[in-house]
Amino acid sequence: MTMHKAKSKAMLAGLIATATAFCYSAALQAQQWSYAEAAKPYAGTTIRVLDEITPLQETMRRLVPEFVEETGIQVEYELLSHGDVINRGQADLFSGRGHYDAIMLHGLQLGPLLAARVLQPIDGLKTNSTLTNPDLGLDDLIEPANESLVNHGGSQYGFLTWNYNQIYWARADLLNHPDEKAAFEARYGYPLAPAETMQQMRDIAEFFTRKSGEALAGETLRNDFYGIVLEGIPGGTTFTTVWEVFMNNWGGGVFDANGKPQLDAPENIAAVQFWADLWKFAPPGQAEYSLIDVPTVMGNGIAAQSIAFSDFVLGVDRPDGGTYAGQFVYGGIPANADLLDARSAGGEPSLMALSSHSKKPEATYLFMQWMVDKQTQAKLLEMGGGGVPIRRSSFDLDVMREAERQSLYKAMAASLEHVQAKPKTPNFFDIDNIMGPLVQQVGIGRLSAEDALKEGQRQVSSLCSSCLLTD
Amino acid sequence: MKPLENRWYPYALLAPAFLVLVVVSLVPFLFAMYLSFHQVNFGRIGDFAGWSNYSRLLDNERTWNSLWVAVKFILIAFPLQFILGLGGALLLNKRVWGRSVILPLLFIPTMMAPIVVGLVWKVMFAGSWGLLSYNIVERFGLLPGTSVFSSPDYALIALALVDVWQWTPFMMLAFFAGLQALPVSPYRAAAVDGATPMQMFFRLTLPLMAPLMVVIGMLRFIDAFKVFDTIYTLTAGGPGTSTEVPSLFAYRMSFEQWRIGESAAFAVLVWIGFFILCSLFYHVAKKKLNAF
Repeated sequence: MTMHKAKSKAMLAGLIATATAFCYSAALQAQQWSYAEAAKPYAGTTIRVLDEITPLQETMRRLVPEFVEETGIQVEYELLSHGDVINRGQADLFSGRGHYDAIMLHGLQLGPLLAARVLQPIDGLKTNSTLTNPDLGLDDLIEPANESLVNHGGSQYGFLTWNYNQIYWARADLLNHPDEKAAFEARYGYPLAPAETMQQMRDIAEFFTRKSGEALAGETLRNDFYGIVLEGIPGGTTFTTVWEVFMNNWGGGVFDANGKPQLDAPENIAAVQFWADLWKFAPPGQAEYSLIDVPTVMGNGIAAQSIAFSDFVLGVDRPDGGTYAGQFVYGGIPANADLLDARSAGGEPSLMALSSHSKKPEATYLFMQWMVDKQTQAKLLEMGGGGVPIRRSSFDLDVMREAERQSLYKAMAASLEHVQAKPKTPNFFDIDNIMGPLVQQVGIGRLSAEDALKEGQRQVSSLCSSCLLTD
Repeated sequence: MKPLENRWYPYALLAPAFLVLVVVSLVPFLFAMYLSFHQVNFGRIGDFAGWSNYSRLLDNERTWNSLWVAVKFILIAFPLQFILGLGGALLLNKRVWGRSVILPLLFIPTMMAPIVVGLVWKVMFAGSWGLLSYNIVERFGLLPGTSVFSSPDYALIALALVDVWQWTPFMMLAFFAGLQALPVSPYRAAAVDGATPMQMFFRLTLPLMAPLMVVIGMLRFIDAFKVFDTIYTLTAGGPGTSTEVPSLFAYRMSFEQWRIGESAAFAVLVWIGFFILCSLFYHVAKKKLNAF
């Protein structure tokens, strides 16, 4: 009995000692882990990283030398335009050339790239305690964008690095004008304010659509004024906006739960019809507007409201951004008042993914971690005077709490609650290529929503019957 | 120089140019032909596919649409460029006032990169924010409810006119150079015989200019078929697919959808089409116009 007690005590002591040692070593490791230490075996290595050129990435480029200095890993951080980063990045991955070690990918690219098996999962690297920053704090990344983007088939393919999202954007000077407020309330029976529902957005669009010679906020218009402006060009993000902002909010979507195309579902027809009805209140050139033209139109002051990518807004609503800078108000993507549970917002969360052809995965993985590191992200936003956060905690930074941008950042946060990455389908680009021109013809009144979506359903069904990528 | 050296000398001179042609034209074309008969998934060459890429392509209504758009585009742009180019060249040939200033200015549109041309016209005619759209077209209600590049009825015409704007000066300069090089003696003889200016134009100028016209016309015709940048910038093929020309269709197929096998098949078909057209053109021009 005494022997047994002594053994038990010894075992307990051993366990405590082991646990203490484990905790201590983990704590020590966390304390001691640094990019410089982890990168020692790779110092002098050169990695090539391809990213998209926007003001956000240009700020990141200014930060990259800090990583180089800290780790000794040379980084060729190449920035290309949206189209080029997709084309060149995909060409590099598909061809197996391996020029780039890591490439920024939009969610919509993942289906074809995962199907072609040209991306390298980072799970193995993540379990390497020497390489992995124990304080990376990935649970701080904004969801559901992150989870829906980086994972597939139980593996992780990179880190969320850019959180492009769409927001509601309106002219505050018009919405706050006393005459307009009174007239709006008299006509629609509720106060004029930034739209929180799609139906309010439609009413505001109708209300502010005026002919030249009519009055707007006390001034006589010299040209027509429009209630709303949306992207309308075939290609670009016209169809994805219709999908994420309208179809999803009406409870539809391109695929059903099993990945089968359901474009001609009644919910989708109603959603596309609603979207097309908004064209009556839009500038006549909307069919040629790309996602870049939409901010131009808002900046020129000829439309009252819009749905636009928030990072493009940053280029217009800045101190030297033109006549209307500082006169805007923002909100999350309006909900469908008839179906609040189906709330969805448009966005294009994007990740930095590791090429399966990379010969320097460890050094690249370190850089990828550094990009999403909390400190890097904080510096990025501070240096850029704001931006589009990937971390929830970034919204608490001083730079994100500046009064003049509060409306914008609150709108981003509200939208991001409902932004999901695109479903991973190898046929994404084919579907977009089919649907873009079809929905545009609904917008310009050449096709009915029903006919366009039935034709879309016919064509997409001929591509795939079960369209989502399986594990 | 020995006789053998004499015999090979011209070939030796041609060899560098021929080598360049083989490397930059023939090899890619043969490779495209090879790809067109293979399954190419995401840029990786797979199994032999027989005619399946061709049949899929021919079953696709967007293929035929793009070819029809190109035909309409050429039918609008090409005759205008040709007539305006020739008319302008004839005027310039009359020693008009300020010719030394006009001639260098004519180079400007032709020297501009097509993408820049697209942007320039976008700034002028973009619906509701273009300089001319906002201040003229919409202010005076010239196109109610639509804009130049948003209208399925006008977009292609407008794009063809952009092409006319860019390439007419080139035609003008080429024809002007041809007119300047014409021999004077036949005109003197015709004048002595009492020929009218119209007779001189139809009986002398046109026949003497025919070889140049055929070559310039053929080059412009081929070039008009390949138009891409201005359309990509101004309409991206819309509204709907009403301005989706073959180059844009092929670009999307290759670089957006990565259907490389089909796009290679499309390239081969276009090449065959042009080979037949150009051969016909050449033979007709040789026999009927005494060109070449």
